[in-house]
Amino acid sequence: MPMEESLPELLARVALRDRRAFERLYRATCAHLFSVSLRILRNESRADEVLQEAYVNIWHNAAGYNAAAGTPMTWMINIVRNRSIDVLRAHKSELAATSEIGDEAMNVAADAAVEPQRLLEDSLIKAKINECMQALSSAQRQALALAYYRGMVHTDIAIALNAPLGTAKGWVRRGLDQLRSCLEGVGVTGL
Amino acid sequence: MNYLRPERLDNLAREYALGTLAGRARRRFERTIRSSRAAAMAVDIWRQRLSVLDLAVAPVQPPESTWHSIERRLFAAPDRVTPAAAPFGGALQALRGWFSARGLAGALLGALLCVVLLRAQPGLIGLEPRVDVLPASYVGLLLDNAGKPTLVASSRRHGRQLTVKLLQPLVVPSGRVAQLWALPKDGAAPFPVGVIPAQGSSHLALPDESEKLFFSVSQLAVSFEKAPASAGDVPSDAYALIGHCVKVW
Repeated sequence: MPMEESLPELLARVALRDRRAFERLYRATCAHLFSVSLRILRNESRADEVLQEAYVNIWHNAAGYNAAAGTPMTWMINIVRNRSIDVLRAHKSELAATSEIGDEAMNVAADAAVEPQRLLEDSLIKAKINECMQALSSAQRQALALAYYRGMVHTDIAIALNAPLGTAKGWVRRGLDQLRSCLEGVGVTGL
Repeated sequence: MNYLRPERLDNLAREYALGTLAGRARRRFERTIRSSRAAAMAVDIWRQRLSVLDLAVAPVQPPESTWHSIERRLFAAPDRVTPAAAPFGGALQALRGWFSARGLAGALLGALLCVVLLRAQPGLIGLEPRVDVLPASYVGLLLDNAGKPTLVASSRRHGRQLTVKLLQPLVVPSGRVAQLWALPKDGAAPFPVGVIPAQGSSHLALPDESEKLFFSVSQLAVSFEKAPASAGDVPSDAYALIGHCVKVW
């Protein structure tokens, strides 16, 4: 994660149409944002395209950033995640109209659960809320990780984890409840 | 359905922030976020909570070409227009035919401008490489409310990128973005194409091939919106620019 302290200033200058600040903002954040998009799309070309769109969006909308709503990095990650999710789902719809969906679905299912879950666990450790690991069941961790890092919807998660849809939804719901409790337990209440 | 009941709002906000809200429900909730401060705050709170999940993400450096592409999209210098010879009669015929319905003066002005632009710099509207035959493309010329040509948009028939070129600077109200829309000829709701710059040129990534997106589109238009539109959104304001979108092949 890039250093946050300089990002609000850079973003404020970008809002004033400072191109040099925009490049510095890009250099400071692009690798993290590219990683976010790449994890969801798992296709370099599409992730690259999303990254370009995201920074065009950031340039045009920097003035709309509201510090009260979160850090600049959270704001930018959200732009990239939303666009990546849109592109992922548009691509899936396109594939669904052809016969390629089978291969794609199998690729997703093959290694779907392992790497995202590890990422989630490492993040919780870094956030010093390791106790969350006990509060969250393995299935809840997997479900949350697939949703957050891979942009999966409930039906995808159910397929990837070989569970009924209702069960997958329950894992996500209870996983989020547990995560909130964990964060509140260490004094993080959101905003 | 009342989205703003606290419990329901929190459920939707967290599913939206996590990404599991999908399809039309996602689009509907995005509109709610834009119109409701309570909804926007509920989402912000969940995004902040979920941001802890980004702490262990390993950065991946994108190629250097990504930055150059962003620069080109945002800051491409306006191209110089100089006469040169290139046969684009077919394209002009198509444009003339369409613009006749809008009135002779506007049509001639638009067509003449296209002659100059297309002959001078096919590359400037994304029609490279320079060849004697114009590649199969969708082309739009948007006029402002005074009938002045303001925006040229073009995309190869099977391309996934739309090139836009402002012919005069656009005065975008503070806090707004210039949103490009595609208007289907059957009168169906417009769909958003992307946000355009106030001046210069830009390349907008398309979610699909031009042929699929624009096959049934007869017009393009620009309105000023508070935020970039998402699929399912409709224009909230009158169009500042509008013009025909034609097939050139």
